[in-house]
Amino acid sequence: MANVHTLRNIGISAHIDSGKTTLSERILYYCNKIHEIHEVRGKDGVGATMDSMELERERGITIASAATNVIWRDHEINVIDTPGHVDFTIEVERSLRVLDGAVLVLCSVGGVQSQSLTVDRQMKRYHVPRIAFINKCDRTGANPYRVKNQLVEKLGLNAVLMQIPIGLEDRLEGMVDLVTMKALYFDAGPHKDQVREEEIPSHLLEEAKARREELLDGVSLCSDELMEAMLEENVTVEILNKAIREATISLQLCPVFMGSAYKNKGIQPLLDAVVNYLPNPTDVVNKALDLDNHEEEVILHSDDDLPTVALAFKLEDGQYGQLTYIRVYQGKIRKGDELYNTRSRRKFRVGRLIRMHASTMEDLTEAGSGEIAALFGIDCASGDTFCDPKLNYSLSSMYVPNPVISLAVKPVDKKASDNMAKALNRFTKEDPTFRTFVDPESNQTIIQGMGELHLEVYVERMKREYKAEVEIGQPEVAYREAITARADFNYTHKKQTGGSGQYARVAGYIEPLVDTGGDEPVNYEFVDEIKGGTIPSEFIPSCDKGFQTAIKKGSQVGFPILGVRAVINDGAWHAVDSSDMAFQTAALSAFREAFERAKPVILEPIMRVEVVAPNEFQGSVFASINQRRGMIVSSTEDTTSSTVVAEVPLSEMFGYSTVLRSLTQGKGEFTMEIGKYGRVPVSVSEELKKAYQEKRKH
Amino acid sequence: MEIQELNDLSPLRVFDESLGGGLGRGNLGVLVSRHGVGKTACLVHLATDKLLHSEHVIHVSFSGNVEHVINWYKEVFREVSEGRSLDDAASVYNNILSNRVVMNFSQENVTIDKVLSSLETLIKHGSFKADAILFDGYKLTIATEDDVRKIKAFAQEMNLEVWFSVSPVRADVTYDKYGVPSTMLKYIDLIDVLIGLIYNEERDKVVMTAVKAQGAMMEKPMGVSLDPKTMLISK
Repeated sequence: MANVHTLRNIGISAHIDSGKTTLSERILYYCNKIHEIHEVRGKDGVGATMDSMELERERGITIASAATNVIWRDHEINVIDTPGHVDFTIEVERSLRVLDGAVLVLCSVGGVQSQSLTVDRQMKRYHVPRIAFINKCDRTGANPYRVKNQLVEKLGLNAVLMQIPIGLEDRLEGMVDLVTMKALYFDAGPHKDQVREEEIPSHLLEEAKARREELLDGVSLCSDELMEAMLEENVTVEILNKAIREATISLQLCPVFMGSAYKNKGIQPLLDAVVNYLPNPTDVVNKALDLDNHEEEVILHSDDDLPTVALAFKLEDGQYGQLTYIRVYQGKIRKGDELYNTRSRRKFRVGRLIRMHASTMEDLTEAGSGEIAALFGIDCASGDTFCDPKLNYSLSSMYVPNPVISLAVKPVDKKASDNMAKALNRFTKEDPTFRTFVDPESNQTIIQGMGELHLEVYVERMKREYKAEVEIGQPEVAYREAITARADFNYTHKKQTGGSGQYARVAGYIEPLVDTGGDEPVNYEFVDEIKGGTIPSEFIPSCDKGFQTAIKKGSQVGFPILGVRAVINDGAWHAVDSSDMAFQTAALSAFREAFERAKPVILEPIMRVEVVAPNEFQGSVFASINQRRGMIVSSTEDTTSSTVVAEVPLSEMFGYSTVLRSLTQGKGEFTMEIGKYGRVPVSVSEELKKAYQEKRKH
Repeated sequence: MEIQELNDLSPLRVFDESLGGGLGRGNLGVLVSRHGVGKTACLVHLATDKLLHSEHVIHVSFSGNVEHVINWYKEVFREVSEGRSLDDAASVYNNILSNRVVMNFSQENVTIDKVLSSLETLIKHGSFKADAILFDGYKLTIATEDDVRKIKAFAQEMNLEVWFSVSPVRADVTYDKYGVPSTMLKYIDLIDVLIGLIYNEERDKVVMTAVKAQGAMMEKPMGVSLDPKTMLISK
């Protein structure tokens, strides 16, 4: 079992095309996990995810595996994959949860781009300490200084250079390490790819001294010990490294490294930095929710002797069968142990326990706190928590947004139908934002997700990985309904059909629930203001249930109702005829009746769209957003490109990728995520209502 | 309180009055001071007041950090709405947001021609009928006279108000008793309203002086100042 203090769980996160795959491969190479270096060259950014998946299969190594274990300087490093695209936010967020630290890879030419912003925002949210690596310093136009400034300006990080380049572009020779004040070249050894340490070349000495001052100034703000050492002019490498480590872990500092993965320059110092500056599992506070105690937060401790708590963060159907990747947060997992899945409330026994390396796997007998391992053949979904049967904790309280778009899928034949069922079963387990159901009205299989692209990728995966040929229908928006005014109700449900009848009366009102601006919107609230037992307490939950049934489907377009408070303050009952069912029915009917009078409206998902395109296309981008009922929030220009952030209704975004491509000669790209629900304009809402009525008639 | 009443009671009415009825379309107004006196908050307060009058506003910044600007708007709106307990503040805020665009230029030494052409693009292609443009942190003191003339022509052609917040770039400038740097004076003819901001220790307030308004030099103390806590314009 690993020593938890020499363990690092890190992610490498990057914009498409900044060289993440190459960097990952070089890390494996330098950690002696693979013996040859292959190139990824010749692939463009489009569909890079698929490329690397196929690439992996061809070569039988797992660069983009959920977690790969490597060893550097007696430290175990688990490299955890973080998907790059924003449409898969939930996957990104779940992997961030498992990381203790991250390497943010940036291109020395492209710098901080829109996706880096999104990923950085997510890292901030989960308090992930990070170091930056400015890659591709051998490329024409490379300017690591500019990228470092962007880290400060655009991401608001306290970024400090840890190195300066010796030469740039095609003359990149190596780096000056500002901590040790040595020049590093990467041409030693039989393959001319090992580190050679020299004195700093004289022409760079002044620059290096000045930059070291900057580094000391930046770090000393976060460390009194270093400040004192500076005053006494006694700054040792140990003191400086300790101060950098503490400031990085407490998120006050982002050390910046540079190099060129492709040219084998700068990888070893980066690995040193991972070991020196990124946290081990005990440096990070992890919390769980106690399900037996009103989801009270409990702090977990990386201690093998405590009861086990682990998170299943990724399911993978690899060449070895179905794997469930887990991270142990507390206690340990041993072969043969009994664990409890707190979501499914089922116990299971740990069978085979393994650790993934680049091209092999290793059987383990146990995995301790902080470690990452994989289990074979466990029936679960990703995001599930596994506990010692004595505990009932949940790690994933993470807010899962509701899907905003749906698509009908139809298999072409019987074989495709079976394969599709298998694929959908797998996808829904992997990704909680991906859902599927059979529409009882049309008998069609519907898939739902977070965006057009999100669903497209799954349809593509069905074809490629599961050989399920399917036809797809028109994408449909997931609308919502809401009320805008208060409406009172006083409803009596009475039925006499022989035997005992049904009787219940409920009175009260419904009103709009004002969003308080919290992270998780409150969609429904039930208030019991019954006095004097006009409705007996045993039937109060029945009323609540009745309202909850009512809000599942609004009467305007048949979508769920958001943001409503239902209050009951009076009622009547009958000793024989009142029942749970009678009160449920009464509440349901009362709600439906009041809803009509509460000035109902239709809401649509409004997406937060970010378009990046060269400056000359800014006008076309503005116009395209304007034509789509969009609202421009901001536009940022730098020397080459402009980024436009806008809020646009999802229904207007169908096919936007094609439109944008043709508007910008293929040079524009966009990402979107759900922003909020907004009111549909009257003209559109009339059409929607008409279409819904038509559909119901048929 | 309703929006109408909040607007009527706003210290911005006193501000407008001190200028003889506001800046007016086609005109250039300047808030000037040393660094760190609170011009951005002041500018955002001006913009928020316009938004609450259902006007359309473009906020131009040169910092590279849009989130920062957006947070200023959030803060200022919170101060303004909580101070007067505005009805249904959350939805009012959501509504006014659609009338504001933040334009940010993070390239070094961007030319005024580029800025104006992007603004024109937004107004025309983006169909954004701006009533006012606020330049936050534009280096007006090192702009040429020609640049300022172009901005003025743009304001007149598009029929909108233009406000600047300005801090001198050079360290060796001298300030007069109203906080106006000497480098500002060369454009004084092109500017319609010039307001100097200076911190007054005795009163613990940032004092505002209308150095120029209604087309004439006046050096008149305004009826408003900046609250050093909230950085908002107050009576």
